Amino acid sequence: MKRSSNNFPENPEIERAAANWTLRIDRGLSAEEQDAYSQWLAEDPRHRDAIAVYRWGWDEFDRLAGLQTTHHAQIDPDLLAPGNRFARRSRLIKGLFAAIPLAASIAIMVMVFWPNTALKPTPFASKPAIELIARIEQKRLDDGSVIELNRGAVVETHYTPEFRRVTLVRGEANFEVAKDPDRPFVVNVAGVNVQAVGTQFNVRLINDTIDVIVAEGIVSVSAREILQSGETVVEEPLLEVGHRAVMKLGDTSRFDVTRLSTSQMDRELGWQPHLMDFDDVRMAEIVAAFNRSNEVQLVLGDASLEEIQLSYSFWSDNVEGFVRLMESSFSMRAEWQGSSEIVLRDASGGSL
Amino acid sequence: MTPHDSEQARWFVDEVLPHEKELRAWLQSRFPGAGDVDDLVQEAFTRLLKAHESGPVVNPRAYLFVITRNLALNQLRHLRYERPPDVEEMDPLSIADDVNSPPESIAKKEELQQLIKAIQSLPNRCRQVMTLRKIYGLSQKEVAVRLGISVHTVEAQGSIGLRKCIEYFRRHGYLAHFET
Repeated sequence: MKRSSNNFPENPEIERAAANWTLRIDRGLSAEEQDAYSQWLAEDPRHRDAIAVYRWGWDEFDRLAGLQTTHHAQIDPDLLAPGNRFARRSRLIKGLFAAIPLAASIAIMVMVFWPNTALKPTPFASKPAIELIARIEQKRLDDGSVIELNRGAVVETHYTPEFRRVTLVRGEANFEVAKDPDRPFVVNVAGVNVQAVGTQFNVRLINDTIDVIVAEGIVSVSAREILQSGETVVEEPLLEVGHRAVMKLGDTSRFDVTRLSTSQMDRELGWQPHLMDFDDVRMAEIVAAFNRSNEVQLVLGDASLEEIQLSYSFWSDNVEGFVRLMESSFSMRAEWQGSSEIVLRDASGGSL
Repeated sequence: MTPHDSEQARWFVDEVLPHEKELRAWLQSRFPGAGDVDDLVQEAFTRLLKAHESGPVVNPRAYLFVITRNLALNQLRHLRYERPPDVEEMDPLSIADDVNSPPESIAKKEELQQLIKAIQSLPNRCRQVMTLRKIYGLSQKEVAVRLGISVHTVEAQGSIGLRKCIEYFRRHGYLAHFET
């Protein structure tokens, strides 16, 4: 498939969005942004065209890497300022060199490879159903701390000048705490306080068990009643990186501490979304990868879909964005079977 | 093998492979946590080959170091328990290499001149952001520190700069190089 974008249409609004997304992708998307990005791509085929051109354009400038590295290897933000030595010289040689023919046989950047050029956007017929999937959500707090909530988790935050208190009402959450020694960050879960200064940890409340895992820094766990302002809790046993504390609700005065290996941590904290990069990967394998990290399972209803190859990056939890993209750009139809299964079918009417 | 392939292969052996050892050592010392070195180096080679096949590259060595660093930083961002360390800025000396410094003739290629002029045509801030990010390979965060502006401003100015550059491409026929 070759489609020159000589005639890439001008549309200020779409182009502004495409430029913004390109810069965000360049600095790295958060899980939330990845969802929003997939959504934006699926909204309008022109968005995909625009982002392809903008990301290509952004990457083109990498050709200039090391433009000035020899004589005075000092970083100069004004290297290309008007009147600069480099700029004057480049004007002198203006027009002296003919364009060399481009070896255009290889696409510089292929966002989505599709063996058939039939990119037929279809309306989002089953969109409401897909939104039933509970999402992993991210909460950013005023002090810069970030809470990642696993599906269905609920937290309440109560910030005062002395304390940052968060109550985990149910479910599982991961806390990345902004450093502020004067204002402790305390997570209360079923009467147990988990306190941190600047750290990252995971708290889970399932049935009658509280489970705390420390991913970074140090936390203390205490079953005492709510802390008084100014009271320190450091006399409590401290948990370090890789430690896991488990306690039963009926007897929170004692807890078992174990040490997790890196791979155990990966497994335990694997619910947090991670980026999956696919490069010419068969649809069957992509679906299997999603199914490993999500409760909602994808099923390919037509064997013809299994061999489709895609090059794309998705967050592991972004089933919704993935299904939408398949519907809007790959002529598929999504059907729910019960509450936890989505069947994808070929809706191209046999033209695939 | 077509003549073009063998030319590309020779270029790869002459201009790219000699930097591999140093690139690996540099990667291991700067980004000890960033996943598989082989994968990163492989990916950087692939990108460089694609770029070289579709047009000139000022300095293959610098391109390799900058791209590899971008890939490594990206990976660190996605490893959940290790926040990207405060990695030192790209040391221009590490990408500079007097033996293999970019020959004048390369920087004069028309495509590269178009890219240079697109950046030159930008308002000051946009131009500085593009220069630091692309020519020196600083991350957006490092660009912010270097220019004493917020990361948000870097992102916003970069976005404006990119839009103006695409506009420049459109007016000067550079978009013809884009194919998908």
